[in-house]
Amino acid sequence: MTSLRDMQRMIRDAVFETGANGPALAAISEHIRAGDDLAPAEHLLIYRRAILGTLVRALGAIHPVCKRLVGDDFFDAMSRVYARQTPSESPDLGDYGASFGDFIAAFEPAAELVYLADVARLEWRWHRAFHAPDEEAVDIAALAGVAEKDRDRIAFRLPVSAGLLESDYPVQRIWQVNQDDWTGDQSVDLDAGGARLIVWRQDHEMRIDEPDNAAWLLLEAIEAGQTLGEIGNRAIVQDLDTVLPRCVQQGWIGGFELADGRNRR
Amino acid sequence: MHGHQTTLNFTLPSKVNTLKKENRNNATVMSRFPIHPVTGAGIGLRSRHYREIIDTRPAVPWFEALSENYFGAGGLPIYHLERVREHYPVTLHGVGMSLGSADPLNFDYLARLRKLAERIEPAHVSDHLAWISIDGRHVHDLLPLPYTEEALIHFAGRVCRVQDYLGRRLLIENPSSYMCFENVDMAEWEFLRELVDRADCDLLFDVNNVYVSGRNHGFDPVEYLHALPAGRVREIHLAGYEEQDNYLFDTHGYRVHPPVWALYEETIRHLGPVPTLIEWDNDIPELEILVDEANKAQKVLTDVEAAA
Repeated sequence: MTSLRDMQRMIRDAVFETGANGPALAAISEHIRAGDDLAPAEHLLIYRRAILGTLVRALGAIHPVCKRLVGDDFFDAMSRVYARQTPSESPDLGDYGASFGDFIAAFEPAAELVYLADVARLEWRWHRAFHAPDEEAVDIAALAGVAEKDRDRIAFRLPVSAGLLESDYPVQRIWQVNQDDWTGDQSVDLDAGGARLIVWRQDHEMRIDEPDNAAWLLLEAIEAGQTLGEIGNRAIVQDLDTVLPRCVQQGWIGGFELADGRNRR
Repeated sequence: MHGHQTTLNFTLPSKVNTLKKENRNNATVMSRFPIHPVTGAGIGLRSRHYREIIDTRPAVPWFEALSENYFGAGGLPIYHLERVREHYPVTLHGVGMSLGSADPLNFDYLARLRKLAERIEPAHVSDHLAWISIDGRHVHDLLPLPYTEEALIHFAGRVCRVQDYLGRRLLIENPSSYMCFENVDMAEWEFLRELVDRADCDLLFDVNNVYVSGRNHGFDPVEYLHALPAGRVREIHLAGYEEQDNYLFDTHGYRVHPPVWALYEETIRHLGPVPTLIEWDNDIPELEILVDEANKAQKVLTDVEAAA
């Protein structure tokens, strides 16, 4: 007798298989009761359509600009390929699609749209920032209270809502002119240069900011988990003493902790 | 029903269940919100109606919130839910427990649900007779179980463990389904009846789902209704299905259809005035339409009670 686990695996395999003649669909059909009007496999296919439809709609809701850029049919077909090969690992549908940008970057039929992957990455960061938990600004008084001898051990972190994005293309401009409420000039100059963005939320306001070069290098180092001492020693950022307060003031620093020196390189 | 007598290797969950039974009456010692029972016809709480509900306080007896929408630590959804909860009883309804899955229980999910329940103080918490994941892969749809003795033992044991973890009784809802299995030991209603016995849980009877499944699988919804342990049905759901070529699909995107209203009347005559919810998940209309549907359900509740 087939165990519950094996039945569930067979159903899953049949749901994510392509076509109506695959081995997984044939295997599970042996266990499905035929209806008056539907053959066993047709019952399973109702679930396949519903499940892929849900995943494709979820990706579309998170990536409206990508969808607009390639059209509904192309987007849905591309999303179906992604949904089949990319398991959803959380019961929360809002967690689905983190790797969609990477997928698009390698998706041959979309290769012509060189900027599409980065637009998807921007929309994903927007989505995550929108749903991120509320957070207080970094505690400046606590920061000022760190003893001089411990200063090098300070490990800042970005706001929990924040994601950094570096692109060779003007993705922010592409994103902006494709918003529903955009009424200005629709043209985008792809040679206008790349973008370095921090996508985050300040209280209930969504933000896409463009840090200058020094601030970007600092934010990148912070995202990589480097302490203030490491950032200073490696001379990653010039003029750290003015760049850091500027980043704090912008709200790009979410908090800090004192790293344990023994466990760090 | 086959194999029923051979299933008494079920001692562990029922023992756990007995130990903690005193925690299950949902009595809250310190409550942040007014405690009132859920009665009459409520509606599902949807984000597009937050503002209107909070500002105008419509005459709706209770709201049902989709648990997973409020798992975030802060943000606007939970803020709005708390404002609604200040004025109305609220129930929590989820799709994420995956109680039927052969995977281990997801305690990260359950911890978030427990925290939400502590914060909102719901009248009750419900999920489905279904599974949504296997080997950690989630399908975001309610898949049916083969109604076997193996599945019953598995499902009842998990309901017991979740009830103990949450410190409250669960309501289990019958799913709408498009697939039945060969070699099963019992019908869905027999499975539910046994489940209530073994896990000491309650039921959420979805009249639309039973109509949809009955049409799809050729069983009589009235027989299903009469087979349920009447005293254990604590909530009823109503929604609108969609007619496909050769099956009914449960879209929750329409007004309740006439045959479902007829079955609902039969249900209330049989079960009494069980609190009833209008569910609407796709193409969500103006609040007014939902209130109008809830008023129709309320009329059935009132008329049947008056006639009794």
